[in-house]
Amino acid sequence: MNLTRENVVVAVGALVAVVLQVAVAPNVAIFAAQPNFLLAYVLTVAIANPLGAGPVLPFALGLLFDLLGTGPVGGMALLFTLASLAASRAFAVLDNDTLFMPLAILVAASFAVEMLYGILLVALGSPVGLADAFFYRALPCALYDCVVALVLYPLVVRLVSGAAQDRGPRTPRLR
Amino acid sequence: MALNFQQRGSALVRRVLLAFLVVVSLAMTTVYAREGDDGTLHRAQAVVSGAVAPLKLVGATASSGAQTASDALGDLAADADTLSELRAYNAELVEQYAQMEEYRQENERLRQLVDLKDTYGIEGVGARVIGNPAGAWDQTVTIDKGTDDGVGTGLTVMGTSGVVGQVVAADARTATVRLLTDPKSGAAAIVQSSRAQGVVRGSLEGLLYLEDLEADAEVSEGDVVVTSGLGGSYTRGLVIGTVVKVDAKQGDSSRRAVVSPNESASALEEVLVVFSALGDDGDGADGNGGVDAADDGEGGGAS
Repeated sequence: MNLTRENVVVAVGALVAVVLQVAVAPNVAIFAAQPNFLLAYVLTVAIANPLGAGPVLPFALGLLFDLLGTGPVGGMALLFTLASLAASRAFAVLDNDTLFMPLAILVAASFAVEMLYGILLVALGSPVGLADAFFYRALPCALYDCVVALVLYPLVVRLVSGAAQDRGPRTPRLR
Repeated sequence: MALNFQQRGSALVRRVLLAFLVVVSLAMTTVYAREGDDGTLHRAQAVVSGAVAPLKLVGATASSGAQTASDALGDLAADADTLSELRAYNAELVEQYAQMEEYRQENERLRQLVDLKDTYGIEGVGARVIGNPAGAWDQTVTIDKGTDDGVGTGLTVMGTSGVVGQVVAADARTATVRLLTDPKSGAAAIVQSSRAQGVVRGSLEGLLYLEDLEADAEVSEGDVVVTSGLGGSYTRGLVIGTVVKVDAKQGDSSRRAVVSPNESASALEEVLVVFSALGDDGDGADGNGGVDAADDGEGGGAS
């Protein structure tokens, strides 16, 4: 394993996200909406470093999320991996140096993951309707995830970009 | 090389790795869906849940402490114009009062549990809730009793006013309880007054629905719903809740009733894990069947 400073920063960030998910997320739930710190972190890393983001981090954190709950093991691992890939590719193509684009990608990816997870649960026999899954879980949770991701994003951008030796910090501009 | 968090290898290696991880994810999801509660992945979930239980407890304790501190700060701010000596004294009293109130409430809850235990002739063990669900899609809590205390999967769990859920995973010192309000829960139930049978299921809204009722079953608001023990998933004769609304008229085959849940996950602090109860024939604690409505198909826990 190549222990660059960037990898260490990302790994430490992942550890912090896990602690937040286990110890903080259950206690900051708003009604049924609970933030998914792991998803927010994976997406922000994918967008902050679109060319360097690999599939191992999202897979590992997704798998951990699955093991922490009682849902199907492998479900979030799959969705995290695909969402991370899609978000990094989308940002690499669509980045226009404004804050809008990362935000839009974060929102879309968060919502897609939460909704697809609901569909996966329904497909695996969970007795809930798609409309219920959308209104009672996917939508509020995706919004909460976005708030967390927006808080994390500037920090992750600074840390990841600061840790990379080959480029300076990316500072999105509001236009 | 392949385990780097930020791969910088060739595009081919990255694509192969991505494809491999996707296949592994899909394989695990398939295996999880097909294996039973004693399967490897289910056991792995139980192990991880037990391993992170102390961290959950720390989070819950910190959250409670932050709330108390916030309340105390609010009280201090309200007395900002008084003399500093009186403010300090007041703060001390507030702290003592808060502590006493905490003890009083805990005493009340424990007394209710003991009353409940006596009423139903329950053999069981009391447990403290040490963790709330780590994800929004779960309605589960972690308790501080495990297999060392006789707690195993399938056992019924009661709150201060009735059934709240069922143990779905247990390790030596902790156990995971799926609440009735979880959509995957399903408990065979009867309406106490009319003996109409049905299945109580949870939902994402957090409500309990009494479903699968006979078309001519008599159900009205205020009726008490208790576990029937059918299928052996829950101990028989324990209160689930009260009917607060009936969705359709008698004769309608698709009607269902809304049952007020006993407690929500956030309100649960102490629970009672039921080993056996008066009138129970002992098949409710065998650790099999009816834990997941999803696993049992249409019949849910009643099948």
